[in-house]
Amino acid sequence: MNLTVSGLKKILLSPRSHTDAADLDAIRARALFEAPDSAGTKPDRSLADFLAHVSLFEDLGRRDLARLARIVHERDYADGEYICEEGRPGVALFIVRRGVVEVVTRAAGDRDVPLALLEPPASFEETALIGPEMPRWFSVRARGPVSLLGLGKSDLEALSVDFPVMANKVLIRLAALMAARLRTLLDAEFLGESDQRTEGAP
Amino acid sequence: MRAVVVMAYVAAAAAVVLAAYLVWALRSFIVPAFVGGLLAYICRPLVARLERHRIPRGVAVGLLLLVFGVVALVGLNSVRAAIPSETALLELRVRALYALHHRYQALMGLDSSWSHGNGLYRLTHRDLDPLIDRVTDALALTAEERVQFVAPREAGTDTTAAASGRLVEYERTNAHALEMRARRAGRGEPAIKPSAAGPAATAMAEGGAAGLGEVLSSWAIAPLIFLFLLADTGSLKRGLLAAVPNRLFEPALAVLADVDEALGNYVRGIFLECCALGVTVIVFTTLVGVPLRWAIAIGIFTGASNVIPYMGFAAALLGGLAYALLAEDVHPLIPLVTAESFAIWVVVAVVLAELLKNVLYEPLVLGGAVKLHPLVIVSGVVGGAALFGPAGMFLAIPTITIVRVLITSSARHLKAYGLV
Repeated sequence: MNLTVSGLKKILLSPRSHTDAADLDAIRARALFEAPDSAGTKPDRSLADFLAHVSLFEDLGRRDLARLARIVHERDYADGEYICEEGRPGVALFIVRRGVVEVVTRAAGDRDVPLALLEPPASFEETALIGPEMPRWFSVRARGPVSLLGLGKSDLEALSVDFPVMANKVLIRLAALMAARLRTLLDAEFLGESDQRTEGAP
Repeated sequence: MRAVVVMAYVAAAAAVVLAAYLVWALRSFIVPAFVGGLLAYICRPLVARLERHRIPRGVAVGLLLLVFGVVALVGLNSVRAAIPSETALLELRVRALYALHHRYQALMGLDSSWSHGNGLYRLTHRDLDPLIDRVTDALALTAEERVQFVAPREAGTDTTAAASGRLVEYERTNAHALEMRARRAGRGEPAIKPSAAGPAATAMAEGGAAGLGEVLSSWAIAPLIFLFLLADTGSLKRGLLAAVPNRLFEPALAVLADVDEALGNYVRGIFLECCALGVTVIVFTTLVGVPLRWAIAIGIFTGASNVIPYMGFAAALLGGLAYALLAEDVHPLIPLVTAESFAIWVVVAVVLAELLKNVLYEPLVLGGAVKLHPLVIVSGVVGGAALFGPAGMFLAIPTITIVRVLITSSARHLKAYGLV
């Protein structure tokens, strides 16, 4: 599931055509949603242990992880249930704890086009934690029964008031994660355009 | 589908009725619970700060509870020490009645028969006289009390002879004034208050003790709420959100955040405003000549009353004027104040404190936390008082604030998520 810049370049430079819009969306989705360096997780570990493997919380110590475990919201979703929907505002970050979720985008005729699959301990909707309530770019739905952890923007704001050092560690990690994703995305966009230009050249 | 919707509406209506019944049934616990919650809300950053210094949360909460316990104990002891003894209370009533009559007579230009006065008297006596009569009736000594008060002083058993002589003189003047007022009113005899002793007084004392017991048992909930809310690290919110269906999770999270923000702004704002107003009243009344001890008492009373809109001003005015009425010697820190103009200066001090609150403190510390129309505020306070008594007055504004945010935020977020 890991998608590095070099891996992305390989995909983009492969003989397969990338002119299809859904393919480009898939690349964007992978760059946006996939948690880099995410380790596989055992489903039955404690919540704090699980959170230690989420890339956003890698810098947190045991005490902070235990504190975070008392804040996050555990949610269970049934197969096919939407976790978040494209065009709707987001106020929470989600982390996949058990099961698989599918990132989809709405194509013409209200048809869902699958873009990526996310497994534990991948996180999605990080932008909901920092920005104003911006409409979501993609929808995410459960593929089979899924357990997720939700962390609200208000939860992080409360953390930054009560435990600023801990919140700073999360925010710095979040900034780094988003910067890496932006770089990957820009790279993908640039290479995608180059690919299209090459194919269109006489 | 239609039946499900109808059932949902019926369930919602039943829940509202049940909630209203519970609020009504538990109304005596509302104020203690609110005070416990308020203190917990204010203390949360303190607990977090202690936790940051590696003090376990339980220990931090225990420490805070200990501090509050000590403060409450010291406060209760101070109040108990300030409560006058039976003799001191009689002295206080004699002095208050003397001061009231003396100042009223001077202001209205009344002669010794209390029947002819100046233009102000002629203009206002129909309205003011009944009021003065009622206060006089409340302060005047009964026949037994008079004997109890005068006898030891005239026998010279009292140690401070000069002061005793003055008080006896006050009581004689009071008796004369009562006689004059009775004659003017056409009663012939001065109204003698019935004795407070006997079965009625005993029943009153027993009733008072029972009432105190009830109040104390209601207030036992305050430290429990305080402990529970401070010890909670998020399970309350998680529990609440766990009951919400998945599609409502994010809107509920957003609404809760909005309510929490509004409540936090209100609690912090009103707490700071009450503190600022209390300190201002202490400073201003001290400047005009109220002794610091009494100025602090008036300031605390004013600050606490300010939680109820417009009540802080009334409390400060009442406290200040009560002191001005009883004060015999005035030692102001500003030279303009004299014994004659003391009451006016107390009013000026209170009005200035209220102005400062409205112009400076309210916009600065409360900001937009309570953007309510004055009519809504007055209606809320009056309605709250009519339904729940003092608790209703106390909780009217935070309740209106929460309900308003709950409605506007729910509507906004449900619409944004396409749920309505």
